[in-house]
Amino acid sequence: MSNYKTTVGIEVHAELKTKTKIFSDSANHYGKMANTCTNVIDLGYPGTLPTMNEEVIHLGLRAALVLNCEINKHMHFDRKNYFYPDNPKNYQITQNRTPIGVNGYVEIDTENGKKKIRIHDIHIEEDTCKSIHADKKSMLDYNRAGVPLVEIVTEADMNSAEEAVKYLEKLRELLLYADVSDCKIEEGSMRCDCNVSVSKTDKLNTKVEVKNIGSISNVGVAIKYEEERQIALYEKGETFKEQTRRFDDKTMSTILMRVKETGNDYRYFPEPDIPFVDLTDEYIKETKENLPMSAEQRREVYKEAGINDINVEKIIQNRNISDYLNKFIKKINLVIASNLLLGDIAAYLNKTEMNLDQTKLTDEKFEDVVNYLDSGKINSKIFKEILDDVMESNDSIDKILDNHNIKQMGEDEVIDIINTVIENNPQSVQDYKNGNERAIKFLMGQIMKETKGNANPQMVTDKLTELLNK
Amino acid sequence: MSNYLDLSIKEINNLLKSKKIKPIDLVEEAFDRIEKSSSLNCFITLNKEAALKQAKELEDKEVDNLFFGIPIAIKDNICTKGLRTTCASKMLENFEPIYDATVIEKINEKHMIIIGKTNMDEFAMGSCSKTSYFGAPRNPWNESKITGGSSGGSAACVSGRLTPIALGSDTGGSIRQPSSFCGVVGLKPTYGRVSRFGLIAYGSSLDQIGPITRNVEENAELLNIICGKDEKDLTSAKRDSEDFTRLIGKDIKGMKIAVPNYFVSDIVSKEVLDVFNKTVETLRNLGCTVDYIDMKYLENVVTIYQIITMAEASGNLARFDGVKYGYSYPNPKDLEELYTKTRQLGFGDTVKKRIMVGSFILSGENAKIYYDKALSIRDDIKKSFDMAFEKYDFVIGPVVTSEAYDLDEEFPDPSKSFMDDVLVMPVNMAGLPGLSLPVGFSPNHLPIGLHVMAPRFEEAKLYQFGAFLEKELNLNLDPRGDKNE
Repeated sequence: MSNYKTTVGIEVHAELKTKTKIFSDSANHYGKMANTCTNVIDLGYPGTLPTMNEEVIHLGLRAALVLNCEINKHMHFDRKNYFYPDNPKNYQITQNRTPIGVNGYVEIDTENGKKKIRIHDIHIEEDTCKSIHADKKSMLDYNRAGVPLVEIVTEADMNSAEEAVKYLEKLRELLLYADVSDCKIEEGSMRCDCNVSVSKTDKLNTKVEVKNIGSISNVGVAIKYEEERQIALYEKGETFKEQTRRFDDKTMSTILMRVKETGNDYRYFPEPDIPFVDLTDEYIKETKENLPMSAEQRREVYKEAGINDINVEKIIQNRNISDYLNKFIKKINLVIASNLLLGDIAAYLNKTEMNLDQTKLTDEKFEDVVNYLDSGKINSKIFKEILDDVMESNDSIDKILDNHNIKQMGEDEVIDIINTVIENNPQSVQDYKNGNERAIKFLMGQIMKETKGNANPQMVTDKLTELLNK
Repeated sequence: MSNYLDLSIKEINNLLKSKKIKPIDLVEEAFDRIEKSSSLNCFITLNKEAALKQAKELEDKEVDNLFFGIPIAIKDNICTKGLRTTCASKMLENFEPIYDATVIEKINEKHMIIIGKTNMDEFAMGSCSKTSYFGAPRNPWNESKITGGSSGGSAACVSGRLTPIALGSDTGGSIRQPSSFCGVVGLKPTYGRVSRFGLIAYGSSLDQIGPITRNVEENAELLNIICGKDEKDLTSAKRDSEDFTRLIGKDIKGMKIAVPNYFVSDIVSKEVLDVFNKTVETLRNLGCTVDYIDMKYLENVVTIYQIITMAEASGNLARFDGVKYGYSYPNPKDLEELYTKTRQLGFGDTVKKRIMVGSFILSGENAKIYYDKALSIRDDIKKSFDMAFEKYDFVIGPVVTSEAYDLDEEFPDPSKSFMDDVLVMPVNMAGLPGLSLPVGFSPNHLPIGLHVMAPRFEEAKLYQFGAFLEKELNLNLDPRGDKNE
């Protein structure tokens, strides 16, 4: 079986997160009651004409730039003609001849090092209605009609399920961090279609398109399933026609939808209702310079700040945390800050089912907490104690500590106590100097008793060791 | 019954202002005339109840503009909220739009009163209004003759003095050609001058709404109202506001005029050429120079027009599928049958023919062979006109190749209907404004028009020229005969 080579090409549709639709001013919202975000233009009503949402061009350009594409500066839209009930005008406005970006690439990490997956093109188009089938009836939700999309088409550059999954994860990260799309596969704001074929030679065999895959990991499952299915057929000496299959997540298999008879004839022609769009060099440059910080750039900053690899990836996985953390770059200790965000604060948010911006944690309070922890003014035990107040009260950190009767002792005060304890326990000091490690624990205990727990233990240990070794 | 509708709009406006008449007098008179001339079949839908109600309501309002209370007829491919808009097709026989076209909003703002929706060729495809699902309108000059098309109902309505003004649409001559056959003034504005939002599309890159009136000045006044950049139409043009009547009355002496030789070649009949030649003589007497020139690509225009409009129409009319609005084949056994039967039974033959040819033209490699080539020749036509306008103020020619022919005349060659428009199509290709102005009569006493073409956005100059010539010729353009002489 292993002498077959797998070839995969992927088409991804990603919804752009604009306020309004691509060709009309109705709202672009997921999850609203059916047919409430729609107007005569989305309905393809006779006599209506498209307008052009400039935000779409802007986000489309960003996407093309993060995919390292060449930009079509003089671009237009085309009509793709086909009849289907979810296609209100029975033509879809898309870009055929002048996609906004061409010849790009996405770089992924593989066992054999970095690999470039080439992007054939990225083009802008409108989404169709959502069809809902129930009870022998089909219903149409026009809320999705006219939602802006980018379609990203790769070359057939992937050779395994793993590579396909890596590509999609990377693509999702790029689009997400460029603020182009939410990329929520479960809500349909990112949809993947895979073309899979297997061959014993360098000549490509018949390809099979798999649609309707509901998660990135299932893309891997679907590709593996197709590899095995196709190889088994070839091994039996059978061949098959080019076809479209859908992934079924109950059986984790692919099911035949239709066999492609001949090449589709979409009768493309330039959309006469929308004039050419010209992207100036200045506009492209400005957009490039103002791209939001990419995941890759963020990784570098975090690693430089000393955050460990596992935590770096955890932060990147959660865009909100990353954005929050970025507000404090070069201001506070990012290691402590990230530990709090991924640890106690994350647990708090989980427990209360809140987002950071719903809490009373201000930037100022967060900076104070991190700095106090950093200087040893408070310890993590104390932080846990005051956490609820930090998140829920309008008080400053100092006020909260006061309210909790927590007075962390200053360094001078602590040193005075340490010196007193050393003076009062000469035997233990002598034991320590003779190499009895346990003696230090006794001394620590004495000090903590004197400070009533209001001193930072780490600081006490450091200072005690320093003074004993004098 | 009174005869207020025979007065000029200025005169009517004065009577309204001085409270000598009320809008209701005009509306009642219009419906009275329509009823008496019902054989003309100008209207598909009358807006009687709403029009009378609106006229009553206007009695409490100040007469604030020239068109206040003036009855207007609207071609039935322009969407009117709550008022049936059929495109003269069974497909939209019961279609009541839920929004107003931009031009209708403008007309409502000025308190004009919409009398009804006028007859036309189905989906504006045709040149004698005979493809209408509701039967062809008839020419007020001779009811056995065609009105021309596709805005035949609008032209006949103004010609028959049923309403003083009307709106038409022009993709390849559909305002100017029926205006010539019916002896009225019709303008196809520069592409982009008037918003197309709410005009049910035929050939999107060529369609343009324009005014049809009894004289040049009222045409200019109506264009003043309906023109302008519209945020809802990306192809509408942003221009400084201007008064299109501002040059009317100014002399045309010294103006340079070109006549392309093709426009006076043997494709044009004798009765038309005679009137045209006489007009050229008049223009020379008025101090204009008239040169005959060669212009490239004019003989290709019908082919180019067919390719572009049919391709665009095949897309534009795809939305009529029985799913959302309009005719829907009842109880289809599956989706395929819903589509095929709805379109088979909902569209007339001409429309189906053009959709099929359009689909073929865009199919596979054909798009490059036909459509792309057509677009590039269209650019060349534009350039030929630009070159001519470097030397000349206007290009002129006849509007149509013959006088209005018999309504029951059948032509075995389906391209005849396109050849009717061969002289007016180039203007659509180049996006220019074109004016159709009555300049004489054939021996059968049927009106013959002059077609005047100007550079883009030079409508004011067209009106200056048209009004001057109109005054000089001083024709009686009332088909009802001598009563007004």
